Amino acid sequence: MFLTRSEYDRGVNTFSPEGRLFQVEYAMEAIKLGSTTVGITTPEGVVLAVEKRVPSPLLESSSIEKIMEIDSHIGTAMSGLTADARTMVEHARVTSQMHAFTYDEKIGVESCTQAVCDLALRFGESVEDDDALMSRPFGVALLIAGIDEKGPQLYHTDPSGTFVRYDAKAIGSGSDAAQQSLQDAFHKQMTLLEAHSLALKVLKQVMEEKLDENNVQLAQVTKAQGFEILGENDLKAVIDTLGTA
Amino acid sequence: MALYHNPPMAYAQEPTTAPIEHRFNPYSDNGGSILAIAGSDFSVIAGDTRQSEGYNIQTRYARKVWQLTDKAVLATNGFAADGNNFVKKVKQRLEWYEHAHHKPMGLKSIARMIQTMLYGKRFFPYYVYNILGGIEEDGTGAVYSFDPVGSYEREACRAAGAAQSLIQPFLDNQIYFKNQQPEPGSQPFIPGNLPLGTVLSLVVDSFTSATERHIEVGDGMEIYVVMKKGRSTDDLLGDKGLASGMTIEELPSLGESISEGEGGERTFLVRQALKRD
Repeated sequence: MFLTRSEYDRGVNTFSPEGRLFQVEYAMEAIKLGSTTVGITTPEGVVLAVEKRVPSPLLESSSIEKIMEIDSHIGTAMSGLTADARTMVEHARVTSQMHAFTYDEKIGVESCTQAVCDLALRFGESVEDDDALMSRPFGVALLIAGIDEKGPQLYHTDPSGTFVRYDAKAIGSGSDAAQQSLQDAFHKQMTLLEAHSLALKVLKQVMEEKLDENNVQLAQVTKAQGFEILGENDLKAVIDTLGTA
Repeated sequence: MALYHNPPMAYAQEPTTAPIEHRFNPYSDNGGSILAIAGSDFSVIAGDTRQSEGYNIQTRYARKVWQLTDKAVLATNGFAADGNNFVKKVKQRLEWYEHAHHKPMGLKSIARMIQTMLYGKRFFPYYVYNILGGIEEDGTGAVYSFDPVGSYEREACRAAGAAQSLIQPFLDNQIYFKNQQPEPGSQPFIPGNLPLGTVLSLVVDSFTSATERHIEVGDGMEIYVVMKKGRSTDDLLGDKGLASGMTIEELPSLGESISEGEGGERTFLVRQALKRD
């Protein structure tokens, strides 16, 4: 299988005769190795949940950062090479601040997502006066959650620079099973609290370790509070509801 | 050439004290005046149409007031070439914004963008005083005024240009009620709530008076009236709406027509002749 590709997976921007960009496709594979990440939209706001893989008991789990703030009304959760995501989040933050500076208003969630995706395909063998771009595609997928005048929204971006809006989406290693559970359980009139427990319930199903407050992270974006990562107590409270349900 | 190869002695020996400076001045002042007044659910933006340089009239009809969007009108005054070019760039930015964000730019965003555009040329400024009028997101009438390098402020009214010193004190008195005392026991004055009829009269009086006393103001007047979504137009289009000699037209919506009929903000253009002397 790989032999047939050998000519065309060298150059990062070389199309194969079948019209495919192998490096971009391989980057998508990198995401499937990443930890599971879930996003759910409700009329009250958007919920993001990630699994934090803690490979050693000596590892300080609070140092794993997979959910980040972009602006006060937009946040993102990632799966894949999280180091790559930092470049994208940095770009998204700068773009959001520039928008607020220039237009005296918060940037739209879709516009922010578009700005991130504009970065995604800026890779390749740099040509002389090109200012240092990425040599390879980003190996990360993002769930971008936010609220603007159009209401709560959730977007999924991938290394090809494509973005799609979802009501609920799972990415990462357990995404197939997680997406199926989301599809079964999701409904449009979900409350924020229901979304909290659904997100964790879905993660619980696909996680190898027993879910606790140290190996998951939960965040939400609401109209009133904007983006916030739930603290340990709030997170414990949600986890406690899982046991009874 | 040969004739002057050796210039006459007297001419050649003329003592020169300093080198003659030939300096290009990129700016000029084209006179005219603009003003804007905000109401509770409308905004009026007006300007005269004379364009002059020194004692010469270049044209009796040059536009100084521009419809930017369904809810924003911009008036420019100062150096006409800079003004025209600035409006062109603002319109270009509005189009780019609509492509990028799938919505027209709001009034306060236009105001902020104008600031950044003006300040961006802080060291070779557009020699233009801008006044932006229109309807805010919350439906209130608004006026924003700018200096050439981008300082801006939301106000109830503002005059700018050649006759600013004549018109602004009049507006301070009539719009901000400066040097007026409410009758004992009556309601306090609140600026920015006058009815449209009163505001139009003030605009007309401002320009006819400025025309009398300032040589750079005159020829014609264009008054843009932007009305909030769903507001009654009886006070503008009714029998007692306009004085004789005034013409009115409704400007077509610039939006991608969301749904015809229901509509959003409406913009009207009122014209009146001013003295040509």
